[in-house]
Amino acid sequence: MFFLHNLERRVTLHPSYFGRNMHELVTTKLVKDVEGTCAGDYYIIAVMDTFDVSEGRILPGSGLAEFTVGYRAVVWRPFKGEVIDAVTQTVNPHGFFAQAGPLRLFVSSHLMPDEIQYDASATPAQFTNNADIVIEQGTHVRVKIIGLRTEVGEMWAIGSINGDFLGCLQA
Amino acid sequence: MASKAPFQFADDSGSEDDNFNPAPADLTDDETAKSDRRGSMAADNDDNDEDKDEERPSKSASKKRPRDDDEEDENGDEEEQEENDDGEEEGGDVDGDDEEEEEEDEDDEDVHRHRRKRRKDLRSAFFDIEAEVEDEDEAEEDEKDGEEIEDFIDNAEADDIAESGHLNDDRRHRELDRRRELEASMDAEKQAQILRERYGKRASNRAYDEMAVVPKRLLLPSVDDPSIWAVRCKEGKEREVVFSIMRRVEERSGSNNEVPITAAFERAGPNSVMKGYIYVEARRQADILVALDGLSNVYPRSKMMLVEIKDMPDLLRVIKTPSLEPGAWVRLKKPAKYAGDLAQVLDVTENGLEARVRFIPRLDYGVRDETLSTPTADGKRKRPGMPGPRPPQRLFSEVEARKRHPRYIQGNPQTNTWTYMGEDFENGFQVKDILISQLEVKDVNPTLEEVTKFASGSEDGTENLDLKALAASLKDSNVTYAAGDVIEVFEGEQQGVVGKAISVQGDIITLEVTEGDLTGRKIEVPNRGIRKRFRPGDHVRVIGGSRFRDEVGMVVSIVDDRVTIVTDQTSQEVTVFSKDLREASDIGGQGSLGQYSLLDLVQLDPTTVGCIVKVDRESMVVLDQNGETRQVMPSQITNKLPKRRAAVAADRNGSEIRLDDVVREYGGQQRQGKIIHIHRSFVFLHSNTTVENAGVFVTRASNVNTIAAKGGRINNANSGPDLSTMNPALKRNPAANNVMKPPKTFGPDRAINQTVSIRRGGYKGLIGIVKDTTETHARVELHSKRGLVTIPKTDLIFRDKVTGKPIDIYSRSGRGGFSGSGRGGFNGSVGWSGGSRTPMGAGSGERTPAWGASKTTARTPAWGRGETSGSRTPAWGDGSRTVNPYDGNRTAYGGATTYGGSRTPAWSSSAKTPAHDGFGHGSKTPAYGSGSSDPWGSKTPAYGVSAPTPGASGADSWGYTPGASGGSHPFDAPTPGAGLGAPTPAALSAPTPGAYAAPSPAPVSAPTPGAWQGGWGADAAPTPAVGAPTPAASGGYYGAPTPAAYGGAPETPAATGTIQYAEDD
Repeated sequence: MFFLHNLERRVTLHPSYFGRNMHELVTTKLVKDVEGTCAGDYYIIAVMDTFDVSEGRILPGSGLAEFTVGYRAVVWRPFKGEVIDAVTQTVNPHGFFAQAGPLRLFVSSHLMPDEIQYDASATPAQFTNNADIVIEQGTHVRVKIIGLRTEVGEMWAIGSINGDFLGCLQA
Repeated sequence: MASKAPFQFADDSGSEDDNFNPAPADLTDDETAKSDRRGSMAADNDDNDEDKDEERPSKSASKKRPRDDDEEDENGDEEEQEENDDGEEEGGDVDGDDEEEEEEDEDDEDVHRHRRKRRKDLRSAFFDIEAEVEDEDEAEEDEKDGEEIEDFIDNAEADDIAESGHLNDDRRHRELDRRRELEASMDAEKQAQILRERYGKRASNRAYDEMAVVPKRLLLPSVDDPSIWAVRCKEGKEREVVFSIMRRVEERSGSNNEVPITAAFERAGPNSVMKGYIYVEARRQADILVALDGLSNVYPRSKMMLVEIKDMPDLLRVIKTPSLEPGAWVRLKKPAKYAGDLAQVLDVTENGLEARVRFIPRLDYGVRDETLSTPTADGKRKRPGMPGPRPPQRLFSEVEARKRHPRYIQGNPQTNTWTYMGEDFENGFQVKDILISQLEVKDVNPTLEEVTKFASGSEDGTENLDLKALAASLKDSNVTYAAGDVIEVFEGEQQGVVGKAISVQGDIITLEVTEGDLTGRKIEVPNRGIRKRFRPGDHVRVIGGSRFRDEVGMVVSIVDDRVTIVTDQTSQEVTVFSKDLREASDIGGQGSLGQYSLLDLVQLDPTTVGCIVKVDRESMVVLDQNGETRQVMPSQITNKLPKRRAAVAADRNGSEIRLDDVVREYGGQQRQGKIIHIHRSFVFLHSNTTVENAGVFVTRASNVNTIAAKGGRINNANSGPDLSTMNPALKRNPAANNVMKPPKTFGPDRAINQTVSIRRGGYKGLIGIVKDTTETHARVELHSKRGLVTIPKTDLIFRDKVTGKPIDIYSRSGRGGFSGSGRGGFNGSVGWSGGSRTPMGAGSGERTPAWGASKTTARTPAWGRGETSGSRTPAWGDGSRTVNPYDGNRTAYGGATTYGGSRTPAWSSSAKTPAHDGFGHGSKTPAYGSGSSDPWGSKTPAYGVSAPTPGASGADSWGYTPGASGGSHPFDAPTPGAGLGAPTPAALSAPTPGAYAAPSPAPVSAPTPGAWQGGWGADAAPTPAVGAPTPAASGGYYGAPTPAAYGGAPETPAATGTIQYAEDD
């Protein structure tokens, strides 16, 4: 789910940049630092604006100036139980991996409807019910997240397509 | 039918003829039969065909009897009696007479016992007397046939009573029909009422008896009750004995020597302590002797033990015996050869004493037979069964068995069942019936290895592990629960309850129920009937004895207590028991073994490195640089290669690639991955798209194309500079500009009219006066010769006219450097006036304020950094003393050194600086004069400045001196040096390119030294620069307030020094 989230971050600036446009530089640096990163259990998608750039403090020892910046960002936090759309990346006998934006998902074959079976003979390998559903590399799928794990700088989820309206999205 | 009729007639006629042998029993039978007949005739109720059928043969049988043998007779009698009973029973039924019904019940037993034989009698009608001698077994078989035939026979039977029977039949049919009609017309309720009346009474009576509540203690045995004795018997035969007692009781019941005991039972389970005893309840001990007399396997004559009354109830306490179920795992105890081996139960006999198990045989196929059969030296045979080591476990091999014992093997290759040396083998396993008492049933704890042997034995090679049975065997083995575990009760009263463990004490676990009606309640449950509960998506760690121990993963599926997880490390699925799982609090897991962890780069041998792609408990798998995986122990690893963040390689296009860049293989599989290691020409890449080798693969750096470089090096242009490092604009060091040209000068060249000596060429050593100069050359009028000679300026050493000491004419123009602050003028003037000394130099004896620090440390930050960056402090670079041959006014020139890291021209050509050359001996540049032992001969104040100028402290790493930063706008930025008023080297060096561009204010603004000196007399005099951010600071994008500004505060060079110099001049 997407949220507008108020966040705060400390940004350091090299003394060689001290000058009139320092705040501008600080904002630039902030955007560069945080956009597209995973902050624990959510991803920071975009920085909307900064609303509070503190006075700089020189860090003893390095001469860098540290600014505390309050900013507003669009963040995306996947939830257990959330239904999201993803693109299939790889298919193996145990299930398939899919990517939903920055999030990697694994959908185990246990978490698919019974009639969907792995077909190794197809090229590329696919999961199919021998009718309208074919899940292969590149297929768009709608997945329900049933488990989430966060690592340093990364999140990773287990999904299920066992349910109404889940599974393969017809183009 | 028709065909059978003649036989019957024949028979009948025969039987009629031979009707004799009226045994007393027969008589009674006859009587009952007659009464029956009467009854049935009288009965106006329904009677079904079968009954009649049965009835009739019996009549005929009674007539046939005389023809039968004695043996047969008996049978016949019995049957007849039975028949009669049946008839009675029916009559009773029909009448709805309860009493009769009960009677029937009593007789039922007998009826069943004899029914078979009676039928035989029926059949006997078709056999000759001679043929009647037959086996019971045969009879049974025949009987089945007879059943079918019966109807026909009976219907077709032409008897004298047949007619009446038919009549009877008719009436009954009508009767039945009518009754059915009546029933059908009644409504359901009435019917129910009737049925209840008819059948309900009996049931309710019984129920009443049973329901009578009797206090438990009254049921306990008392002295009035019979006593119980424990009687010795053969171990393992307890049940048999009890069964035989039961038989004896049956046999003798009704006779005059009934078995005088009231009960007999045994408690000999496989693990019972009461093995070898049966328990007999009787009034007197002597009765037991009578009852058990002559039974085998029981020894009533040995000492019997009387069970105390208070112990009696315990004898009957039910202990749930571990029930062996097919598929369960057990261990063998008995054949010594197999002791401890794992076996699987195939079947359990009904009496629960034996089990059919299969296990992996330990056969030597007669290899050791020779040694056994040949007598040993002393002529004795070695005792069989006492061989040395037992053969290893191996599945039965027909081929091997045939080698030595072709005669002892037989079997069916199709079903793969064999009999070899008297043992049975199926699919390679030995199959045997073994007493359960000889099996270890509890605490089997089969290891996975053992179990796998059984699994792999399946024909299609697929694993068909019966995990359920395995679970049962493992169930009660050291499952550990911890507070916080979510637990589900699956057995016992609380079945289905789910809760969170609060505390664990021994075998009792306290749960706080989290679901259902009991939510919030705390209950205690034994740890036997519970299991841990997980949900799909839970993050769990494998604990316990599973071979997947320490794997961490997410639950994807749960079936009973088997949980499938996808591991974090390898994204593979593993199935384990829920008891072996625990909620994982941490991430990663199993990522390291000792100091080595997943994805580390390790040195395997001097020429081979590899990336760890899998970590097991004791070993790991390494993908080496050649793309091969190998399993290694930690001890086989030479060392771990630290991750070199700075490692750089060039890709196929020559672009630089670093760690964390995303690259794609050129050609081949075009795999794409993120660089995790660069080692020489190899790059180790990691990709999420493959699970093989944990997604790691190796390739050559020259074989990849950059897709995306981290930090966007490739598209750096629009992302702006890295704001956490040195401003690139300040760092710029274009090669073309490496040696900075001296700034353009204005006004007359100061060299003109100077006394110079020539240090090179044909005029070397001669002294003259510069008459005119160009950019590079000077026309010199030599003292010794007439006329002017043109000499390169670089070959000139400026000398003091009077003393002949080399001087630095440019240094005197120090004002150039300091122009900005205005003090510059001061310096400059000093330079001019004093010629050799900058104020500071002279002043506090070579100490600039900053200088205060000791000489040894006296390095400007930049300087300190000089070795690496090659940059010298401006001061140092061209020291204030240096006379810039090109531009006396500008020390700024020196600034180049700062930036370029090269030496200032002045410096590099130090030899050429006029001052240096010319007056080196006599006069010292201020710096020089400071008396430092600097090989270069001079230290500029700035040089000396250890000045912890703000810039300095921070600047160390950045390699720029305060001066430098200030220098970009020399006129605005008071460098420390500037502050001191001396044309500090810093100042001098400061002239950045910008400096060149701008005419230095110095000359313009420069106050005369004198003026300044006066002003400066006090070291306290704050320089204007001090504390003042230079205008430049705020100016440009990269413009920074020069730290140098702060540096100015310390004491300025002593005014006196300056004066001295001035005097010198």
